[in-house]
Amino acid sequence: MRAGFILAVLFVAASYTFVAFRDLSYLSSAGRLGPGFFPRIIGASLVALCLYSLYADRKREHAGDAASPYARTAVVVGLLSALFVALLDVLGGLLSMIAFMAAALAFLNPGRRLQNGLLAVLLPLAIYLMFRVWLNAAVPRGMLPLPF
Amino acid sequence: MDIFANLLLGLSVAVSPINLAYLLVGVVVGMIVGIIPGFGPSAALAILLPVTFGMEPTGAVIMLAAIYYGAQYGGTITSILLNTPGESSSVASTFDGYPLAQQGRAGPALVMQAVASFVGGTLGVILITVLAPLFSQVTRSFGPPEFFLLVVMGLLTLIVMVGCNWRYGVISALIGFALGTVGVDLETGQTRFTFQSAELISGIDFIPIAIGLFGLGELYFAFYKGLHLSGSGGIVQYQKERRFWPQGRDFVETRFTLMRGSLLGFGIGVIPGAGATVASLMSYSLEKAVSRTPEKFGKGAMAGLVGPEAANNAASSGAMVPLLTLGIPGSASTAVLLAAFILWGLTPGPLLMAQKPEFAWGLIASMYLGNVALLALNIFAIPLFVLMIKLPYRLLAPAVILICTIGTYSVNGSIIETWLMFAAGLFGFFMKLYGFSPAALVLALVLGPLAEQSLRQTLTISRGSFAIFLERPTSLWILGITALMLAAGILLRRPR
Repeated sequence: MRAGFILAVLFVAASYTFVAFRDLSYLSSAGRLGPGFFPRIIGASLVALCLYSLYADRKREHAGDAASPYARTAVVVGLLSALFVALLDVLGGLLSMIAFMAAALAFLNPGRRLQNGLLAVLLPLAIYLMFRVWLNAAVPRGMLPLPF
Repeated sequence: MDIFANLLLGLSVAVSPINLAYLLVGVVVGMIVGIIPGFGPSAALAILLPVTFGMEPTGAVIMLAAIYYGAQYGGTITSILLNTPGESSSVASTFDGYPLAQQGRAGPALVMQAVASFVGGTLGVILITVLAPLFSQVTRSFGPPEFFLLVVMGLLTLIVMVGCNWRYGVISALIGFALGTVGVDLETGQTRFTFQSAELISGIDFIPIAIGLFGLGELYFAFYKGLHLSGSGGIVQYQKERRFWPQGRDFVETRFTLMRGSLLGFGIGVIPGAGATVASLMSYSLEKAVSRTPEKFGKGAMAGLVGPEAANNAASSGAMVPLLTLGIPGSASTAVLLAAFILWGLTPGPLLMAQKPEFAWGLIASMYLGNVALLALNIFAIPLFVLMIKLPYRLLAPAVILICTIGTYSVNGSIIETWLMFAAGLFGFFMKLYGFSPAALVLALVLGPLAEQSLRQTLTISRGSFAIFLERPTSLWILGITALMLAAGILLRRPR
């Protein structure tokens, strides 16, 4: 898995380097160092180091490479937070927060319905009031014609 | 006399009711952040940055700085009572703090760590007061070569001192540099890596990346490690009435330890990249080396707790010196503070103290008051913070996700940035999992534009010759210090 991660970084780094060499000039029209100077150094170094890491790590086993028994929990929390971000534009900030909290607490804190219910409503409400009313900051409005 | 006049000006700013209120909020939040394992000051600062947008700049920065140094105090409470450091700079405090608590000396250990933190923090602020103006004077002569070398020094030191693997650390920093090149090239006006997207023309915003890496990434990693299931069952009880206060010999035995830890910590903190964790570990090693009873270390030696505590607090003060006088952060937390400064239109650097004295000195003066408030909180509000330790992570984590997400959206009202924060969270999780350094990435992202600009200017001045770095005395000094730090880092990491 570690090699997969480094390969993914290598792929992005190679694309970055390709663009740096193809689209960005090393010298500007005035003869000074141009917009491609720094990205070329960074990209080439990144590619070289990723390749070297893949080579150096090929036979090494790392302590952290064995999957954790709690990996499923991390995946579910990750999926729920992705769903939360996706819902922001649809349901708006407040309703998405309530939906996310209800789902997350049902998964992480099962069986405590009253505690979960109260937290799922009161906490989002407090955060909404803090950002929208106290700080006058932007909170997603969503597509539904709701007053909040 | 200038220093006293400036400090008085700073005090007049810091004691205004609104700034005092922000300071108190900051120290309490900092304490709480320090107590929660797996949730460091960098994450808290990044997440709370959007919350400060409605505030006046000086008050906002006073509050954020208080969170930063307040976290150093809080992290030790869990080290002593639970054998779990609230954050990395409190790791050394578990070595003797927890054994002391197991011996029925939790109360004295908690009070002594508060005193050590106070001495370290306050001595650090006194040194900032004296040295920051001098640093400002010296750094006014710095040119592009020196600034480039300082950036390189900060990153290399961070990677060598803290990172697990130098290759992964350098890869992390290079990713940060690469992200920093997205947007318009300021020298030529040409766009880079924008792929015709209007959203990318102004570059990749630092805030979603920092919130994602430190907020969501750390949180996913904590779930992956099963932190949500670990309760506070192993917490050591302490007696509030009897045997709570330290004995006279505790103070007598550790009087030199306090001074050594504070001075060492401040010195380490001033060096970009080294930071509080390195300072506390070095202080522990130093105390063990100079002790007449080194065999007691690891079994409940008060000096083994007091030294690292004084050092990590002094280091967090010391780290403010390069931040204020050079605009160069030495850690992820100070990188977020730098972002806060820039958001408020304040440009840290050699001229900050001369051009914005009320801000710079207001911040410094607030740190004196903050340390006093933290001392009182640490001694008299311990039961309250013990309650915080008992707050289940499974309830806390969803709330953190809410604040991360809504906080990111609120900065520019952008759903794309919110997705960027989520992507950074996933990436941060894998970085943590495989031993890469999110801190190096964030530091490089913040310092990338400065590094690129100063390198291009340097090579323009020298007509393409890298020998310029060896021709200027100040550059040579910086290169020498960098070499020393790298050697120290390599020696510290050698297995014993």
